[in-house]
Amino acid sequence: MKSGNIQVSNKLGLHARSAAQLVRVASGFESEIKLINGAKSANAKGIMGLMMLAATQGTELELRIDGPDETIAYETIRQLFESRFGEDE
Amino acid sequence: MILLQGSGVGAGIAIGTAFVTDTAAVESSFEVIEHDRLTTEVELLDLALKRTAETLRKTRTEVPEDAPHEIAAFLEAHVLMVEDETLREETVNIVYRESVSAETALMIHRDDLIKVFESMEDEYLRSKKDDVSQVISQIHRQLLVLKGEDDKRTEQDLSEYIVVAHELTPADTVSFTNLKMRAFVTDLGSRISHVAILARSLKIPAVVGLHGEVRHIPHGALVAVDSHTGQVIVNPDEQTLEELTRRHQEYDRQHQQLLAIRHLNSITLDEHEITLLANVELPSEIDTALESGASGVGLYRTEYLFMNRAQSPSEEEQYESYRQVVQALDNVTIRTLDLGADKQVDGGRRQGKVATNPALGVRAVRFCLRSPDMFRTQLRAILRAAVYGNVQCMIPMLSNLEELAQVKATVARVANDLRKENIEHNSTVPIGGMIEVPAAAITADQFAQHLDFLSIGTNDLIQYTLAIDRVDDEVNYLYDPLHPSVLTLVKHTIDAGRKFDKPVSLCGEMASDSNYTRLLLGMGLRIFSMDPATLLEVKQVVMSSSVEQVVGYVSEIINCQNSLKRLELLEQLNRIDLTDRSAKAFA
Repeated sequence: MKSGNIQVSNKLGLHARSAAQLVRVASGFESEIKLINGAKSANAKGIMGLMMLAATQGTELELRIDGPDETIAYETIRQLFESRFGEDE
Repeated sequence: MILLQGSGVGAGIAIGTAFVTDTAAVESSFEVIEHDRLTTEVELLDLALKRTAETLRKTRTEVPEDAPHEIAAFLEAHVLMVEDETLREETVNIVYRESVSAETALMIHRDDLIKVFESMEDEYLRSKKDDVSQVISQIHRQLLVLKGEDDKRTEQDLSEYIVVAHELTPADTVSFTNLKMRAFVTDLGSRISHVAILARSLKIPAVVGLHGEVRHIPHGALVAVDSHTGQVIVNPDEQTLEELTRRHQEYDRQHQQLLAIRHLNSITLDEHEITLLANVELPSEIDTALESGASGVGLYRTEYLFMNRAQSPSEEEQYESYRQVVQALDNVTIRTLDLGADKQVDGGRRQGKVATNPALGVRAVRFCLRSPDMFRTQLRAILRAAVYGNVQCMIPMLSNLEELAQVKATVARVANDLRKENIEHNSTVPIGGMIEVPAAAITADQFAQHLDFLSIGTNDLIQYTLAIDRVDDEVNYLYDPLHPSVLTLVKHTIDAGRKFDKPVSLCGEMASDSNYTRLLLGMGLRIFSMDPATLLEVKQVVMSSSVEQVVGYVSEIINCQNSLKRLELLEQLNRIDLTDRSAKAFA
C-alpha cells in the first residue's frame, strides 16, 4: 500500500468538475484509491463521495492506494492535484 | 387573455401551445412497499439510472458548438454522479431497510446528501447541492416514466409547443430543443444565465425571469412569446394574435429592408460622417454586431465574465475573451468592470450586507480601485488584447479627477510590469471615461482635458440627474430622457469634447432609440454606440437627416418648459422628410 498527504491547491476546491476529472483518472487504475479528510473518507472512483469530502483550497487530504498499480496511480493523482486540475488558479 | 412580463432572450416571436413541464425538484409521496416487491423496485432503479446516464450522455453530444464550455463539463459531471456506485448502493440500502419504493428511497437519500452539503462552510462547494438535487430529480423522473406515472415528458415532438417551466437546466434546454420546441418561458434566469445564452446560440425565442408568473400559464393554452419585448401573452384574443403575426412579419420585412443599407456609409444628407458602433456583452453578440455592419464596438461590457461564478476570471480567460472580440471587430472600447448596484458578482450571493442605496455605493470604478488585484488583472488582459487591434479602455462612473489619476497610475504600473515580464502588450491604449455622474457632466471641460475620449452613459446619467430609480415601478414615470436638465448635460459634454478635440460617443439606450437620433445629431453627437439589433434603424435615420437642418430644433426642445410639448416637438423633428427641402420651415 502507498499513502501520503496531498494538498488541494486549486482555488475552487474539489467541486463537481474537478472531482469529475479525478474520478476519470482514478477509474483508469485497478488499485483501490481512497481520499481521507479527517473523519470523512471517499472512494476516488465515485464523484459523490469526493464532493462530500468538502475539500476546499488548502485542505490536506490523505491519499491511500492499495493494489497492483499503486505506484503509478499515486504519482498520477499527485500530479493532478499539483496541476490544480488544469484550472487557472 | 393574460399578459406576463419578463426578460426576452434569443430571437423572434413564437406562437404555440403551452407545454407545462415540472423540471423543478420532483416530489413523490412516501410509499411503503411489500417485501416481496422490493427486488422489482431495485431493478427499476437500475434501469432508471442506466437510462438517465444514457440520456445525459446523448445530451452532452448535442450541446451546440458555440455554447460555453462549462455546460458540457457540467453534463459530464452529472453523468458521473448518476453512475456513482455509492449513490446506487445507498439508495438500494434505503429501499430494503425502510421497505419503500425506489422514488421514496431516492428522496430520502437526496435529503441526506443535501444536509451534508448544506453543512459545508465553503459557499461554492455548498452550492453544489443544486447539482445533486438536479441529478436525483432526473433519475426520479425517469423512474416515474418507467412506472407510467409521468407521461408528460415523453420523447414527444414539440414543434407545435412552447415549453413552460419553473426552471430549465442546460440539459433540459438542449433536449427540448432537439424535440424542436418553438420557444420557452421560465420563472428563473436572467439575460446572462446559462439558459439565456443557450437560447441565443440556439436562435429560438424565450422569455426568462417571470418570477413565479409561469403558474398562470395552463398546460395546453395558446401562448405567444415575444423575445423583443419580453412579453408572454396567454390565450391572446383574435386581435392580439393578428397584431403579433403582423408584427412578426413587420420585423422580418424591416429586417430585410434594413439589411440593404448595411454596407453603405453612414453619412448624413449634408455629408457628415457618423460612426455607428455596437454595444456588446456576450461573445455570441459578436455575430449580431458584425451582421449589423457596425464599424466597431463602442461599449464592450465585461461584467458577464464576472457574474454567476464564485471566483473572478483569470487573466488568461479575460485575455482570451477580449482578444476574440478585438480580432472579430478590430475597433473595440472595453469598459472595465461595472459591478455593484444592480449587478453584483456571483448574483449577490456573496454579499454579506446590503447597501441601503447601492446605486450610490461602491460600484464600478470605486469597486475596482478597492479591489486592486482584480483591477490589475483586468487591465493586464486589456493591454495584452490591445496588440490585436484598436483597443480603447473605458472607465465607468468617474466622479472626480483623483479617481482618474489613480486609474492612470494603475495602468502605467501594469504596462511597466508587462514590459518587465516581457509579455507582449500595447502600452498606448487610450483611456476614456464614462460621463454618467452629473458631477462629471457638469465638469466635462475638466474631464475632457484629462481623458482621451468621453462616452455619455445616458441610463445612469438620467437616473442620477432626476433622482429616480428606473427599476422602481412607482417612480418609473418620471424617467424622461428629454428633461431639459438631461439634454443640457448631454449637450454640455458634447461641447466640452469638441472644445478640447476629444471624441465623444453616447452609449446609453438613447443611442439605440431612433426617435432620438436626429435630436442627438443636432446636438453635435457624431459617435453612437448601441444595441446592434437597432443599429440599422438608426443608420436609416442618419442617412435621411441633415445636421444643418435639425440643429435648429435643439435649443427649441431644450428650452421648452412643457414635457408634452417637448415630445410634440421631437415628433415634428422626426416627421420632417428632409429629402423634401421645403420642409425646413419650422412650425
